[in-house]
Amino acid sequence: MTAIDQIKETITSNDVVLFMKGTKEMPQCGFSSRVAGGLNFMGVTYKDVNVLADQDIRQAIKDYSDWPTIPQLYVKGEFVGGCDIVTEMTLSGELDQLLEDKEVAFNKDAAEQIRAANA
Amino acid sequence: MPVVDEIREKLEHLNPETLEVIDESALHAGHAGARPGGESHFRVRIRARSLAGLSRLAQHRAVHAAVGAELLARIHAFALEVEP
Repeated sequence: MTAIDQIKETITSNDVVLFMKGTKEMPQCGFSSRVAGGLNFMGVTYKDVNVLADQDIRQAIKDYSDWPTIPQLYVKGEFVGGCDIVTEMTLSGELDQLLEDKEVAFNKDAAEQIRAANA
Repeated sequence: MPVVDEIREKLEHLNPETLEVIDESALHAGHAGARPGGESHFRVRIRARSLAGLSRLAQHRAVHAAVGAELLARIHAFALEVEP
């Protein structure tokens, strides 16, 4: 299976996928850590793909998403954005809305706590 | 030319009303991706009429395209804030 096929398979068989440096338990980059930490805190079930463990995936995800940086968040097969966009959407409540629209479970109280802490 | 100036020069093509390009490499010294000479981590704050009305993804893609793949491949981190 090519790296692109692997990516397509991963984002269709998991509701939420984070392509990141490191793992959700041990991120290897501050930007990946911020997004993974937010999702962890909000209790979102997601698949983490460590791009540092596979150079083919690392390049292929940039090509597939037409996006030059890592992390990259996918929800129900759709590219949401990188660290800046996910952070902005978390703080504005747009991420809550997206997850609700896509019927992905998360802890709304935790999302409110993140917003309160960053207000 | 410092990378900050290279980025600024490329982003002038978007005719920004406001543009800040900040080298944040010193904040990441010693961390993965940092380099001895710095010039690894950058933050851009931009407001441009040409970006208004676009989705967030489209705004970021327009900025990425203006900066160019070659330059983005040379740096470790590119944080972007598109101001409304």
